Amino acid sequence: MVESIVSTGLAIGCIYALIGITYNVMFSASRVFSFTAGTLGMLGGVLGSLFIARMGMPVAVGFLLALAGGAVLGIVTEIVAVRPVLKSLDQHLYVLSTLALALMIQQFTAIEWSTEPQPFPRLFDIARGGFDQQYWLPMLACAVVIVGLELLYRHTLIGRAFLAIAEDTYAARALGLPERGLRLASFALAGVIGALAGFAGGEMLLAFFANAPMLTFYGFVPVALGGMGNNRGAVVAGLLLGLFQQAANFLVGGIFASVAVFTVFIIVLMACPEGLAGAALQRRV
Amino acid sequence: MMDTPAARLRPGRADVQASTSTIGAALPFLALLLLGVTFPLFGGGYWGVIATRACVYWVLVSGLNLVVGFAGQIAIGWVALLTLGAYTTSVLAAGNVMPELPPYLALAIAAVAGAAFGLIIGLPALRLRTFYFAITTVGFATIVTQVALAWQSVTGGGVGVPGPIFPEPFSSQWGFYYFCFSLAVICTWMTANVAASRFGRALTAIRDAEVAAEACGIAKPALLATVFLFSGAVAAMAGGLFAALQSYITPDAFTLDLSILFFIAILIGGRGSILGPLLATILLTALPEFAAPLVAWSTFLYAALLLVIVLAAPGGIAEILDFKNRRPLESNRAIIPRPDLVGRLLSAPVDAGALTLEQVALSFGGVHAIDGLDLEIRRGQVHGLIGPNGSGKTTALNVISGYYVQERGAVKLNGAALPLFARHRRAHMRIARTFQTPRVVGSASVLENVMIGGTIDGKGTFVESLLSLPRHRRDEAKLRDTAMLALAAVGLERLARVRVDRLQHSELRFTEIARALMLHPAFLLLDEPAAGLSADEIGRLAALLAAIAKTGTGVLLVEHHADLIFDICQHVTVLNLGRVLATGTPAEIRSHREVVHAYLGG
Amino acid sequence: MSMTRRQALASAGAAAIAAGLSKPAIAAKPPILIGYLPALTGPSSSTGVGINRGTQLAVQEINAAGGVDGRQIELITRDTQSDPTKAVNAAAELTHGQKVSVVLGPLNSGESLAVVPLLARTNTPQVHPCWVDSLADPKKYPMCFRNGPTNQQIGAAANRYVVEVLKRNKVAVISDTTGYGTASVKTYVPMLKAKGADVVYEGNVDAANPDLKPELLRMRSAGAEAIMPWSVNAGFLSRIINTRGQMQWDVPIVGQTTLGSGQTKALLDKPEYWEKVYPNNFRPVCYAANGKLPDRTNAFLDRIRSAKIDMTDTLLWWIALGYDSPWMIAETMKSAGTEPEQVVGYLNKLKGYPGVYGDISFTPDEHNGYPDDEIVMVEANSLKDGAFNLAPGYGV
Repeated sequence: MVESIVSTGLAIGCIYALIGITYNVMFSASRVFSFTAGTLGMLGGVLGSLFIARMGMPVAVGFLLALAGGAVLGIVTEIVAVRPVLKSLDQHLYVLSTLALALMIQQFTAIEWSTEPQPFPRLFDIARGGFDQQYWLPMLACAVVIVGLELLYRHTLIGRAFLAIAEDTYAARALGLPERGLRLASFALAGVIGALAGFAGGEMLLAFFANAPMLTFYGFVPVALGGMGNNRGAVVAGLLLGLFQQAANFLVGGIFASVAVFTVFIIVLMACPEGLAGAALQRRV
Repeated sequence: MMDTPAARLRPGRADVQASTSTIGAALPFLALLLLGVTFPLFGGGYWGVIATRACVYWVLVSGLNLVVGFAGQIAIGWVALLTLGAYTTSVLAAGNVMPELPPYLALAIAAVAGAAFGLIIGLPALRLRTFYFAITTVGFATIVTQVALAWQSVTGGGVGVPGPIFPEPFSSQWGFYYFCFSLAVICTWMTANVAASRFGRALTAIRDAEVAAEACGIAKPALLATVFLFSGAVAAMAGGLFAALQSYITPDAFTLDLSILFFIAILIGGRGSILGPLLATILLTALPEFAAPLVAWSTFLYAALLLVIVLAAPGGIAEILDFKNRRPLESNRAIIPRPDLVGRLLSAPVDAGALTLEQVALSFGGVHAIDGLDLEIRRGQVHGLIGPNGSGKTTALNVISGYYVQERGAVKLNGAALPLFARHRRAHMRIARTFQTPRVVGSASVLENVMIGGTIDGKGTFVESLLSLPRHRRDEAKLRDTAMLALAAVGLERLARVRVDRLQHSELRFTEIARALMLHPAFLLLDEPAAGLSADEIGRLAALLAAIAKTGTGVLLVEHHADLIFDICQHVTVLNLGRVLATGTPAEIRSHREVVHAYLGG
Repeated sequence: MSMTRRQALASAGAAAIAAGLSKPAIAAKPPILIGYLPALTGPSSSTGVGINRGTQLAVQEINAAGGVDGRQIELITRDTQSDPTKAVNAAAELTHGQKVSVVLGPLNSGESLAVVPLLARTNTPQVHPCWVDSLADPKKYPMCFRNGPTNQQIGAAANRYVVEVLKRNKVAVISDTTGYGTASVKTYVPMLKAKGADVVYEGNVDAANPDLKPELLRMRSAGAEAIMPWSVNAGFLSRIINTRGQMQWDVPIVGQTTLGSGQTKALLDKPEYWEKVYPNNFRPVCYAANGKLPDRTNAFLDRIRSAKIDMTDTLLWWIALGYDSPWMIAETMKSAGTEPEQVVGYLNKLKGYPGVYGDISFTPDEHNGYPDDEIVMVEANSLKDGAFNLAPGYGV
């Protein structure tokens, strides 16, 4: 029982953490939280199942296409739902535009793909049992993304440019950084990360349109608890969330587990609105 | 009629204008009322079900409108209250847990439960950012459904419970339709009353100009709590009606799609409007019924509509129907204040005293924004505060008005220290201010924006406004009269009914001053009011400010325009790097060597 | 295949015009409107999809043979999408708007729980096959008839098989969170306890839950010797079977007929996982001890094959049930008339109506029409041409 809790908990925690990172990457580029993060995760699984299981493509091809699909959705999000809204005075419109876009994609998937969870193909032809690929794939994906982002932000020019527009848009613009292009690239990157989360977690979560709202919520918890824009915090919080949720699942069962997770989340959030590691809110007059 | 100064101003005309525009505003509602009352005559049995459902949805949406449309809170998961209300009413009426209760009593109890739960769901709004709050409401919606599934002994779990059946004459299809319709009409009336009250305006102020709302004395927590209570009660009542309409409820009837429908109806209808969300609710309820394939795609269509509205017409249906505000404005408008009216506006005497800062210091990080500042603002004087950028002028003003808390020193009014962390209490002490960038409610009219300034002078409670009781109506009349007088004093009365987002920058500045004057301030703090004004306008502003000071108000004028400062100030303080460089009469300052050297040039 | 309202109107219109043109002297008779509430999409659509194939075939045959007294049957279909709310809306539309004579369905208990009281209030005769016990009550719903088994009947057969034949005393009962699943668990657990069995696990799980390992692990640590799932959701059932296989846990799975459906089979990771799975089924559509099907069933299979109806992803009994219902209604209307009292009066005296799926009988005090002794347990992986062998050890 314990080993099941740990393996499932860490694996699903990594998926939640990756969605949290997706939120963070989009937030860093635009100061906007997008409702499409969970939808990206869902599409990673659905596209993977569509290309590999239903259309019979080889795993590597299906994988790359799924990631490409995520990038496309990320770019569409920026162009359609974020860019037009950033210009307006009412900042809160982004919540509505990204919500609308996410809903449209979810409903379209439900109607065209299926309203029922569909199986996700087994990626590597290894026998089941023990530390199965459905557990280590998400963990591997999470590790790759974290290391990759570190390298990107610290050792490449474009990565440092991303950090610059996240820190101070005006200064970055003054330095001549192409703010719009960088934001677009950030959203594409976020799309790839989200799709990767869904693809790696496909066998655990199945290809199901309703994963979108589920990941939207559970993927946001690491962001809220770990601090906005804080990727390391997101990973820690994501893993803790996964373990807590699975422990509750295995010990008391599904319904009570979700009630428990949510209650703890709201209590912690009310106590520390900036997250467990966040900084105090600055006044803005 | 009370003999207020404003009542003597232009008797009759404002009233006539107000009454014609009120009739114009009421016309669509009356049309809908007529349509609804006569519906059974031409609508068949099936459309009766749809119409009843639209009424039930509107009961919920009317309350949610105050939360989302007026207060601007992104409460996406309000279906939680529909679920709560539906199950509470059904379980109490069916007698699962305790002896059967009459359906009306069950409905009333559900409303009370809904009020409490609405408050619980809403509380996070006071602590959390917009997006975070939105996510928590979604979580609440999921939780309530899960509880309904799990608590089988009470709710029947997946099996569900039969809905309540209301007794004669509401048990037949059309009887029940009229029941729901009447409740919908009452909710429309109540929320329209709130919209036209100081509470409704205060909500829009919190939504669009929270900082300014605080300066006007609006206490966000109390107001939001009130609105969540009302909205929760009404939503739970809608749940009871929903259960009766469905005749049988199961947890899967309460989907997130339904919650999205409610939320989107308000956004498509237009925030800050009653008619818009009403039309949108009817539209969104009826739309899927026109073609069977549409039913499956309904949520997709709602979302697409929402996206279109957000990108193309953020004001929604209300904005599209706002013909009044498409009429072109005069192109060469001039702002002609009437300083002579200021005396009538600020005629109420206030006790004497001074506003002082004693050795106030505040740093941001390593930067000393203000470093040992002494300042005394006397009643009846215009006190100028000048200095280069970054010298701490705005910081000082923000400390006085309570937005920043000083690290050392004291801010005193009449010798008593001002309470820390109580921004909205400043208004009660008659300390009013304007802002460096005008903070106004763009979608409201100039008059409504100015009336926001007088919110704390209202005596009626929320319930009195809800039911349009006499004290509410007296408040409104007095507030409107005073606001019109203030607008006349600053020279904007011809633009009273115009949407503020159509105004020029200079007009916004004068609007803010009018709003500040509504507090009959003992002290008026102005943050660069002349920025962006033409030379003529600065001259008129000077006359206005001088008149304000003459009535006994202490004016603190933070400015860059040296001419304005030296023209009307009795006393000037010069700041540099957070410290007082010089203080004295304008003549003394103008010849002060260091000031000239550091700031004035020459 | 569902007909939209426009298609239905168009076809009725076309039929009327055709009749008018070809036989100008004889007035065309109006069609008989029958409302039909299957769940063709959604989590519980396996029943609807299967039953619908039989229903469509039956209506085509009836109309091709001249209809009922020269009147064509017009089936007005409304997909409930497995959603009780949509079922209520649709039922309201069928009765108030379309003014149908009879309603067939809903086909899932969750939807029927909401619709049966509603149709009773509108005095519309209703025939449905749903299993939850409370869905037929001659006093509360005098116009509602059930032409399928009840949960009591099904549970008796299944529980008897687990406790007396397989001799497993510690039982885990699991279902989804639909009305059908919840009611089933609530009914079967006391029945098992009354038989002296020890129910070590009982749970309702969201059918869409992708990971059932926590539930099965809890069953195993509680000492369960048999798993009894009650759901019509093929995905959910396949996940239970797959998890049992992955855990290499050797216990029998005994439960709902859908365990044996082609849809469930298609979702299994390995074909051998389908061993030791014993769903219930119905004698007329199962191979007898001599390996033969009843003549009636064979004839029906021929008709299905010539109509090119696919059986591989569903269950034969659903198609048969779907086929029997319109024919039973047609015979009722031919004999007694189309008015509600006539239909109800005739059904109240129905004795041994020879359906492919079973012999249906009603009395004024008994609106559950399916006979006890035709409910059997079968072996899932013996599926061949749509029919099953009886489960091992299964006596009469």
